[in-house]
Amino acid sequence: MEQLPLERKLEILSDAAKYDVACTSSGVDRKGKEGSMGNAAACGICHSFAADGRCISLLKILYTNECIYDCKYCLNRRSNDTVRTSFTPEEVSELTMQFYRRNYIEGLFLSSGVRHNPTETMEQIYIALRLLREQNHFNGYIHVKAIPGAAPEIVAAVGLLADRMSTNLELPTAEGLRTLAPNKTRETILKPMRQIQQGIAQSKRGEHLRISGLTQNDSQITTKWGFAIPDPTHTAVTALTDAAGYSLRNGHNALSSMTSDNSSTSLVTTDSRNVASLSPDNSDTVPLPIAGDHIAGNKPTLPAVPNRTEHQLFVPAGQSTQMIVGATPEDDYQVLAVAEALYQRFDLKRVFYSAYIALNNDSLLPALGTKPPLLREHRLYQADWLLRFYGFRANELLTPERPNFNVFLDPKCEWALRHLEHFPVEINSAPYPLLLRIPGVGVKSAKRIVRARKSMKLDFDGLKRIGVVLKRAHYFITCNGKMMYPTKIDEDYITRNLIDLDHKKNWEIAYGMSYRQLSLFDDKDGISLLPISS
Amino acid sequence: MDSLFTTYLCENTTDGIFTAIYDAWAAKIPNEQLKLCIEDGYCYELFTDIIYVQTDLLKAVKVARSIVNKISKEAYDMVFLATLSKEADKIDVIYRFLKLGFHYGRAVVDMQADKTVCRLFDIQRGVANEAHSFREFVRFHDSEQGILIAKIRPKSQPLPLIMPHFSDRFPEEHFVILDEVHRMGGFHERRKQWFLSPLSEEAMDRIWYSGESAEYERMWKTFFRTIAIKERENYRCQRTLCALRYRDYMLEFDSA
Repeated sequence: MEQLPLERKLEILSDAAKYDVACTSSGVDRKGKEGSMGNAAACGICHSFAADGRCISLLKILYTNECIYDCKYCLNRRSNDTVRTSFTPEEVSELTMQFYRRNYIEGLFLSSGVRHNPTETMEQIYIALRLLREQNHFNGYIHVKAIPGAAPEIVAAVGLLADRMSTNLELPTAEGLRTLAPNKTRETILKPMRQIQQGIAQSKRGEHLRISGLTQNDSQITTKWGFAIPDPTHTAVTALTDAAGYSLRNGHNALSSMTSDNSSTSLVTTDSRNVASLSPDNSDTVPLPIAGDHIAGNKPTLPAVPNRTEHQLFVPAGQSTQMIVGATPEDDYQVLAVAEALYQRFDLKRVFYSAYIALNNDSLLPALGTKPPLLREHRLYQADWLLRFYGFRANELLTPERPNFNVFLDPKCEWALRHLEHFPVEINSAPYPLLLRIPGVGVKSAKRIVRARKSMKLDFDGLKRIGVVLKRAHYFITCNGKMMYPTKIDEDYITRNLIDLDHKKNWEIAYGMSYRQLSLFDDKDGISLLPISS
Repeated sequence: MDSLFTTYLCENTTDGIFTAIYDAWAAKIPNEQLKLCIEDGYCYELFTDIIYVQTDLLKAVKVARSIVNKISKEAYDMVFLATLSKEADKIDVIYRFLKLGFHYGRAVVDMQADKTVCRLFDIQRGVANEAHSFREFVRFHDSEQGILIAKIRPKSQPLPLIMPHFSDRFPEEHFVILDEVHRMGGFHERRKQWFLSPLSEEAMDRIWYSGESAEYERMWKTFFRTIAIKERENYRCQRTLCALRYRDYMLEFDSA
């Protein structure tokens, strides 16, 4: 492989990374400290907005776009003829530091194609992260992909350096995955997700990380998702230890050279067959390679890190995932039910939805040039918000009989119109959960209503000042027993009026004229506070 | 002869505003005859007594302290943000808000359906939002001496709000942020406490440095270009989220 200039690599590997949706830098608050660079804000900070209106918060790049897999929907699939290149860990680290100190970015989002095998790829990521954190003292945000199939030890090691990890679910159903991503299975995707979930929980309880507990709790999940429990024996490998010196020697597997006696490990293991099972002869799928040429040679040697005394957090900003919508025939109900299950059973921070963009020519995929289903994606995000912040359940919004969202109405309005028996709601007395269900009332305005009505009776002027969108809400509320206008509580009548309100907006979203992804339900504050990736 | 109105004119700083509030309060002028204004851009009116307020740090501190003690820290934070606003009515709104506050106590911040409270809320939110935008959009150039230099053109006065953020983030860097509208500089020396200083136009020009397409600036522009998805191009949305007025010093929006 030829060596390209850094700028050209950046061009290729950011171009290849851009279809990943998440660019969030949220979820963790961390003060800066002397001797290091960076801090993190829980709300997340965007730094620019690209021509597609998406926020740029992190330096979003692939480590490499070489890939042994052939997922149909992916531009980097093995069978595509594109220029292949890889960063070195030093390049990733340097780019991040230099962009960060100019305030271009909030941190790094590192994903990757699978170059030789998943474990080797994650090792490279691990090395880049250690360079950043330990040599360059980078204290900003890092989001890393867990690569399905990578050894649990390397996932655990990376998790101690990253703020957020994500494993892409890729497609909503196992069926879709079988068709379009023949090298991936639900099982290999959910395994790291479960591991990260448990690691986060342990870390929150202040415990050391245990990798072994993978299998027991998984049995429920695995049966639910319809696959068998993996054989646990191959997971008992020693972790990378901080006590180990860090040096990359030519011809040596980077992972094994970082592995040493496990008495001081913070990652734990129960088995002494440690390094052996990661060595070429008995790794389970593809043999581990000799480290690639760019790892060899005059690389810096990191000082041995003494045992850390401070408690190291594991993935403190939580984990996320994403699903491609529109490449396979699943309906909205299936997508939303999967999202709900992920929130409930895997404690995910976010599920992202990615409208499929037809880039590859394949008989199994929508034809080239098919418009990405942007309005559908928008509805899913609205519903996702309803699940996470508004107390809705997926089966309240959709059912197998009515499996898709309305083109003309947002999911909350749709729900309200089918449940007019709850309305009108009296603003001065309704409990908070009911306020949240009123179209035109967002989380912020519902909270403000609760605060404000302690000291005074609210009228419609007051509601307007608070930020309630009356043109939508007035059909569903009373203030002191009165509605704003003489209005019938009648489904057809209200539906007609609400559709009129939204008509232009929906058209604009569907045709990419506007972007309302996160200014949901018209809450007045929505726009500034919820950019796409917060 | 008494005029119909009394107007207090003060300088456009937090201390100036607090001093004016102190003086006006002490003078016990009835609400409907009292006006408080910022001296820059004040348009003189008939039948009005003008009182020029002499900024007095002690008075300002007294006002600040009584807001915290008699209302709440939350109310103080809101008022402080409001003093940095560009809105012409800010000082009048703050004065009326404080009157309510001294009457109702800490509950005043909940009264968001009240006109004055709501207006104060809007004013301070505008300031907070703009400050947040500059946390996002400030771009530092790396000078030859290794000092990071940035320039902004804000409506409100965000420096007191963004300097703590960048000082926490870059403790090991020397950096300067220049507010060219209010002729103010925020300075941070490595591992030291940051400070603000008013600057003459000449001083500002001397400090300002924008390196010509240095390596990482070029790479940032490249990244900015390639990260956008063509099939989703949406300039209107881009403009909503990153208004044109912020782009003057954002290198990725330079044409060429």
